[in-house]
Amino acid sequence: MRTLVIGGGASGKSEYAEELFSGLAGKKYYIATMMPYGADSLWRIEKHRQARRDRGFFTLEHYADIGGLRLPERGSALLECLGNLTANELFSRGLTEDEAFESILSGISSLALQCDDLVVVTNDVFSGGNRYDEGTLAYIRTLGRVNAAFAGRFEKVFEVVCGIPVAIKG
Amino acid sequence: MILVVGGLASGKRSYVKTEYGFSDAEISSSISENYPVLFDLQDIINSDADSERFFPALLGKRVIICTDIGCGIVPLDPAEREKREAVGRLCIRLAREAERVVRIQCGIPQILKD
Repeated sequence: MRTLVIGGGASGKSEYAEELFSGLAGKKYYIATMMPYGADSLWRIEKHRQARRDRGFFTLEHYADIGGLRLPERGSALLECLGNLTANELFSRGLTEDEAFESILSGISSLALQCDDLVVVTNDVFSGGNRYDEGTLAYIRTLGRVNAAFAGRFEKVFEVVCGIPVAIKG
Repeated sequence: MILVVGGLASGKRSYVKTEYGFSDAEISSSISENYPVLFDLQDIINSDADSERFFPALLGKRVIICTDIGCGIVPLDPAEREKREAVGRLCIRLAREAERVVRIQCGIPQILKD
C-alpha cells in the first residue's frame, strides 16, 4: 500500500502519517530529508525525532537522490517530506525543474519496490498567493507536479486538517 | 465549541451566521467573554505561550473561526514561522476538544468532525 499524506504547516500531517504505522509488523524506516541548518531547524528535527522515539522507527537521513537509497532490509517506510526533498534537489543539487521532478519520481518509485508499505508526507504550500521570486515559484511548480504525480500513482491520499485526516483518494 | 476553519474570504462568517444564527454583534476578534463567537483566532496567537494563555477562554466560546495560514510557503521570518506553527498546533488542540469541526471552501462547509 502506498499512501500520500498532504497538509499545511502544523496541520498534524506528520503525526497522522506515523499513526498509519501503529500495529504494523516488520522493520519501520523513517527517511528524513530535512538538512540541518541553524538552530530553528535543529529544534524542529529534535522535536520530530523525539516524537518518533519509542515508536520503533529506524531513521535514515537522506536529503536528495532517493534513487541511491537502499533499505538495510525489506520493511515499511515513512518518507518526510516531499517539500524538503524538492527544495534539496533544486537548490542544493542545482537540478532543473524537470530533472528534480524525474529524480524524485524515479527515486521514490525505487524506494516503493523495497517496501511493503510506503507513506510519503508532502506539504501544501499552494495557497499563499503567487508573489514570490522566480526560484520560489519554480519550487512551487515542481512540488505541485510531484504531488500530483504521486497522488495519481498511489492507492491512497489523505489531507490532514487540524489533525483530522480527510480521505481524498482511496 | 465549534471550530470553523478555512482560507481568507472563504465564507466562514457567513456560514456561522446562517447556520448557527449569530449576528455581527456577537462576533468579535476580541477574546472577551462578551462575545460567543471569536473571529480571526490567527490574529491573537503569536506563540505557544499565547495558546496556553488563551486556551481556557477559547474553550468557553460557542464558535471559534480561524483563517488557515499554514498553506503557503514557509515564511523566512522566524517570528512568522513561530506564529504559523503555534496557530496550527492550537487548531489541532481545539479540534480535539470541539464538538464539531467545519472547513469552509468556496462558501461550502465540509464537516470534518461531528
